[in-house]
Amino acid sequence: MSADYILSITKPMLEGAQMTILLFLIAIVLSIPLGFLITLMARSSVKPLAWLAHTYVYVMRGTPLLLQLLFICFGLPLLPVIGEYLVMDRFVAACVGFVLNYAAYFAEIFRGGLLSIDKGQYEAAQVLGFSKWQTTTKIILPQMFRVALPAVSNEAITLVKDTALLYAVAVPELLHFAQTAVNRDFTIVPFFIAGVIYLLMTLLLTLLFKWLEKRFKFE
Amino acid sequence: MAIIQVSNLKKSFGELEVLKDVSFEINKNDVVAVIGPSGSGKSTMLRSLVYLEQVNGGSIRVADDYLVKDGVYSSSQQIKQITAKMGMVFQHFNLFPHLTVRENLEIAPQVVKREAENVIRSRSAELLEKVGLADKANVYPAKLSGGQKQRVAIARALMMKPDILLFDEPTSALDPELTGEVLQVIKQLASEHMTMMVVTHEMGFAREVANRIMFMDNGEFVEAGTPEELFTNAKYERTRAFLQRALK
Repeated sequence: MSADYILSITKPMLEGAQMTILLFLIAIVLSIPLGFLITLMARSSVKPLAWLAHTYVYVMRGTPLLLQLLFICFGLPLLPVIGEYLVMDRFVAACVGFVLNYAAYFAEIFRGGLLSIDKGQYEAAQVLGFSKWQTTTKIILPQMFRVALPAVSNEAITLVKDTALLYAVAVPELLHFAQTAVNRDFTIVPFFIAGVIYLLMTLLLTLLFKWLEKRFKFE
Repeated sequence: MAIIQVSNLKKSFGELEVLKDVSFEINKNDVVAVIGPSGSGKSTMLRSLVYLEQVNGGSIRVADDYLVKDGVYSSSQQIKQITAKMGMVFQHFNLFPHLTVRENLEIAPQVVKREAENVIRSRSAELLEKVGLADKANVYPAKLSGGQKQRVAIARALMMKPDILLFDEPTSALDPELTGEVLQVIKQLASEHMTMMVVTHEMGFAREVANRIMFMDNGEFVEAGTPEELFTNAKYERTRAFLQRALK
């Protein structure tokens, strides 16, 4: 097995990894704020809003992500009347699926973070004259994000690996090129290389979150 | 004129009546200790004054304005203005753990009052000096002892320049050897004529520092007097019985 061969199959895989990373970034940047919005809805005193948020989380967590992706890519266009307007580029469709799915998980993580905050924090802020908005942005959110950080880190790493589901909707990404090389050359090496590339990506993320946790230790 | 006037205050949690027709007055420069058995309504009464509890009836007047009159609350804007005259120190400190000691002091003047940065900074330095924690300005609360946390909490409340400072069992969560440093700070404030109301179980402190002691029992305001009057010559049997138990 020559170095040239390894290089020749790694190059397309790295190009595929760009798709992986792009999806990761889009999903994380959009699903975190959306997740937080759902958390706020779930806590809202307006009952239909809370009910809607709970149902949303239940459906998105209760069904496989793969099913959701297939549903959006190949299912929606089959709907009568409106179906023809729901045909999306498959990568865009996958992004929509990932954002919607991960938002539900982040919503639950943030809900847990909010529950961990002592009511004394709200009381101290109220007595000092903070408005509800000031209390939320200056006192509650920073503490919530700190509490949620380890769980967010965990979820982000899961997201890196879940990007491999792009394979199922035929968007060429890292795993797709590995599989192609395996079929063509009849060797297991491309799978190893794919594994190493995933490990490198998750290592970077792990280090980033470790640093964040240390930076926001508040000690 | 009384700086706080409370009349016929009533408060229930469901079936349980925690405040039954409580009336009293606080004058400027008063240091009032509120004593009584656990569950007698002391904390609820104190928390009602700053709108952390809503009462079911009665009136609370602070300076010239009614927070609540005959059970009807003022507008939320007025409530905000009225409660801003009072500072509160909690049993469990309730410092903001994600902010340093200095930031804990400065955040409310910055965010709520929008005061000038240099004005805030010099006041926080002065107050940290006063409570003996100037060297802890850049430390997070997690690194402080309970006594230090409570002193920061007192300084934080003073940053808003309240006319009245309320203490809800300020030493109850502390190890016995740490209560002294907190009581010392309160004593110093008393000597500077800060108007204060302190819910406490520290009888020695109440006797030494307060100019008036209020005894509450079972949701009722039983009697008040100077420490001498109450400790040596209480009018009611249940006051005498409580003091006898507490001083044992």
